[in-house]
Amino acid sequence: MVQINFARKEVNCKVVFYGPGMSGKTTNLEKVYENAPDQHKGELTSIATEGDRTLFFDFLPLDLGTVAGMNTKFQLYTVPGQVYYNSTRKLVLQGADGVIFVADSQRKKMDENIESLENLMENLTEYNINPDDIPIILQYNKRDLPDVLSVEELNKALNPKGWPTFEAVAVTGEGVFPTLKALSSLVLENLNKEYGVADDAGSPRLEERAPAPEPAKPEPAKPEPAKPAPAKPAPAKPEPAKPAPAKPAPRPAPLTPVKPPPKPLTAGGKAPATGGFKAPKAPLPQKQSSKTLVWVIVLILIMAVVAVVAVLFLGNPK
Amino acid sequence: MEDASRKIREKRLVFYAEDLEKIDKYLLEFLKLSQARCALLIDKEGHMVTRVGDTENLDLDTISALVAGSFAATREMARILGEVEFADLFHQGKNESIQLYLVGERTLLTVIFNKSTTVGMVRLYAAEIAKKLAALFLKAAEQKPRKTDRIGKDFGSSAKSKLDDLFGK
Repeated sequence: MVQINFARKEVNCKVVFYGPGMSGKTTNLEKVYENAPDQHKGELTSIATEGDRTLFFDFLPLDLGTVAGMNTKFQLYTVPGQVYYNSTRKLVLQGADGVIFVADSQRKKMDENIESLENLMENLTEYNINPDDIPIILQYNKRDLPDVLSVEELNKALNPKGWPTFEAVAVTGEGVFPTLKALSSLVLENLNKEYGVADDAGSPRLEERAPAPEPAKPEPAKPEPAKPAPAKPAPAKPEPAKPAPAKPAPRPAPLTPVKPPPKPLTAGGKAPATGGFKAPKAPLPQKQSSKTLVWVIVLILIMAVVAVVAVLFLGNPK
Repeated sequence: MEDASRKIREKRLVFYAEDLEKIDKYLLEFLKLSQARCALLIDKEGHMVTRVGDTENLDLDTISALVAGSFAATREMARILGEVEFADLFHQGKNESIQLYLVGERTLLTVIFNKSTTVGMVRLYAAEIAKKLAALFLKAAEQKPRKTDRIGKDFGSSAKSKLDDLFGK
């Protein structure tokens, strides 16, 4: 959820790229990283397998700059797309302020798209988030490949709610910025509605007023095995339904997990608004030292008593 | 929709200057006692709330995201074991180490320290400060926000122009 820090004059929003494995989520993030001006971006971090498949998440901080006196930042995350990693995928989704669902436009990938979208709805529900309450945008990726479905066909299968959609070829960067811009705009619009000057309803302070928003399900999360394709009717597909692949495959555009030295963000990242001083070396407070002294004396007295008793009873057995 | 908006608002974290001043004071006191290098307060979504101490050359955005991810992953492990969560996590390095401590329900105290102190000292004082901070959060949550703490009138239009600058029109 958005964090508003009036003391540091900061607004932090979390955006999550969701979608099936190999649909282009990490590529989207890489293109944002490549094309965003240096002063607006932080370091791209990836927790990936050796085969460069996302294991936990990719992360990129993006600094929009000062908006009406508030330094506004977006934290962009991707989830691991593979079915097997649902437990980690769910963790990344927690607290999302907006979701970009990256769908693979290829006809043969339709089942995986549907399955992943259903999984998104399930996971949002588990966090007590109504999918109608947060901005969601669909990106139809890989439009340059042969045998892709038309936008109408994709809408029919994936977009009954009428979310905004964007066509993209993420490997070339086409459609990447427009998608992110549209979602960012929706997220900030929501924020403005709730925290703009007209808002007098009262906002929660440090901790939420309601109980902590934990997932609805109390039982422990289990890694989910690859599920068979959903029974839900899908659009015309010439190929038989099959489970999503769970084995790692090399990513077409390899991601470099270790990046050059971090680029400082324009504001807020380093410059302290509050705090930020170096802690001086200081001895323990006087109160603590006297307490310790009392304990040492008590200990010595106990030892002395024990020694006397030992001499009296053990030293002269008769 | 009104109800939905209220639900989202209830989950949102808002920090005000007067509260942050108190938090920073507690954290500075903690640094003095524990002799740690720096202390960060991070929310569970991976956004940094505040920090004190020596944070030079640290990529704080990335550390915050990774700390939140690490905590979330270990919480799932805890649940599998039948625990609610592990309130105390420790990552030991050759020179630098990180101690994480859950504060209240939504924030994590992250302490980075080196050989100038020991994990025992850090843990001892982290547990104390976490209690103080949790009490402060509870107290602050009961107070009403001031009207001066609002996002500016021109936030919407300013955001639009900034998005145009960053992503193009």
